[in-house]
Amino acid sequence: MDRARLALIVIALAFAAALPWLGGPFWTGLATQMLIFGLLALSVDLLLGHAGLFSLTHASFFAVSAYTVAILQVRYGWPTIAAAPAGIVLGTLLAAVFGISVRTRGVYFILITIALGYVVWGVAHRWSSFTGGDNGVTNVPFPALGPAAITSHTQYYYVVLAAVILCGLGYRVLIRSPFGLGLRGIKASETRMQSLGYRTGLHLYAAFVLSGALASFAGVLYVYYNKFVNPVASSFPVSVEAALMAIVGGTGSIVGPFLGAAVVLGLRNWVSSFVEMHHAIMGAVFIATVLWAPQGLVGIAQRIHARLAKGRHG
Amino acid sequence: MADPALRVEDLAKVFGGLAAVDGVSLAVAAGERRVLIGPNGAGKTTLFHCITGTLKPSSGSVALFGRDVTHDPEYRRTALGMGRTFQITNVFPDLTLGEHLALAIVGTDRRKWVLHRPAEAFDEVRARALEGLARVGLEGRAHLPAKLVSYGERRQLELALALNTNPKVLFLDEPCAGLSPAERQRISQMIAALPRGITLLMIEHDMDVALGLADRVTVLHQGRVILEGSPEEVRANAQVRDVYFGHGEALRG
Repeated sequence: MDRARLALIVIALAFAAALPWLGGPFWTGLATQMLIFGLLALSVDLLLGHAGLFSLTHASFFAVSAYTVAILQVRYGWPTIAAAPAGIVLGTLLAAVFGISVRTRGVYFILITIALGYVVWGVAHRWSSFTGGDNGVTNVPFPALGPAAITSHTQYYYVVLAAVILCGLGYRVLIRSPFGLGLRGIKASETRMQSLGYRTGLHLYAAFVLSGALASFAGVLYVYYNKFVNPVASSFPVSVEAALMAIVGGTGSIVGPFLGAAVVLGLRNWVSSFVEMHHAIMGAVFIATVLWAPQGLVGIAQRIHARLAKGRHG
Repeated sequence: MADPALRVEDLAKVFGGLAAVDGVSLAVAAGERRVLIGPNGAGKTTLFHCITGTLKPSSGSVALFGRDVTHDPEYRRTALGMGRTFQITNVFPDLTLGEHLALAIVGTDRRKWVLHRPAEAFDEVRARALEGLARVGLEGRAHLPAKLVSYGERRQLELALALNTNPKVLFLDEPCAGLSPAERQRISQMIAALPRGITLLMIEHDMDVALGLADRVTVLHQGRVILEGSPEEVRANAQVRDVYFGHGEALRG
């Protein structure tokens, strides 16, 4: 790794660590959201940026996991150490079922994932005796591991930061592994991969389930931050926004989805303080990205970097 | 008698009302080099796709080494020892040449499922990838993405991919398509230098290349086999001359 990149990482980490002192509760809360939704966007991008599948159902895994944790902790009094893994397991199991959608490609895949997403939203919304309907499940406590309990949003921010860093490192290994390389091969040419001996359907299915597991983990982090979960978490706009974050930040990278989450959430917070129609602004940002910076912010950074390097050498 | 490396029986492929392949039977013995020739539209590539599993035949059967694979997907045929190239270059533009070879090498074993170790940490795979690139004249190219190398080099890469899945039988669909005469010669020399243990079935338009490499030649015309024989027999055959070269044109060579 070159020194400039190392320096950038050290600065980013130092900034992240000092944020609660620098920014206070408002910025710390916003940063926690950016990390959680960035992780959700990262899970979407495993399929979008690496395997070439555009999923619009990731809010389902996110929400099922969040609901599982909330219901088990609030109604059944389960401890965090049991409820959080249960959330990930249930979200992942749902991904194992929804994974059948990899039998389709392109626009059919997108349509099927939208439909599946609406099924989950419908259940969350209508099965009110179990899910709490529109009100959802409230009063979720902070996570606690035996005597070690989180007591403030600042403390929880550090938990999320550590979890996200660990996920990022694991993700990095995954995308560089033979399996991850295989996904990139399938994205570029599925027919060639089949002729090289790859059972591409199974490969994509495995990626879908892994991606669902990561989205489920983001759901666990979310419910402990948010303190409640309602059908909004499972809704279509959340899935769209996660994909949008990945695209705005730059698909196929690790920092991209987090940058995208920062832009989308930051802009929404800022713009909605003076304009009612923040959705329209987000739409405009998305259109501009697709038209002028299809590689997202990471792509812009790479272009600037390349131009600077060229200027220096030539 | 040992099973032939490839046996095709009464194979047909119909598109709409058009029979692109119309009842083809052929057997290629293990170790044989067979070249498939025929004018444009003879059904060579369609037949090829049915043999490799890219297309499902409308009727008939395909067997590799005595095992019926008619309904097997392509990846399973590759696991049985099939290697193939595409007529239209089919590589991964953003992946480096080294990564291409690594994918081919782990494609037929369990390492393709490894998640917890970077691909470049497999020393044996890396060494074999460099070796595989050198074998087709692409040494020193391992770090370049495929979109940055020349068309001729991509054709070499195409061949390297097919050679690195441990094939016992190779299907080459016009390996020299679109290349300059010098590049053509390079590729055909590489093919000629392959171990004789690898069975070869190749589509080729260039008669010099085709007849120079082949043990036997199958001539396809309008979806049917019109002749199968040694290169000399094919060269001498009046009917082949008619359909393949047109009337009154002298044969080169």
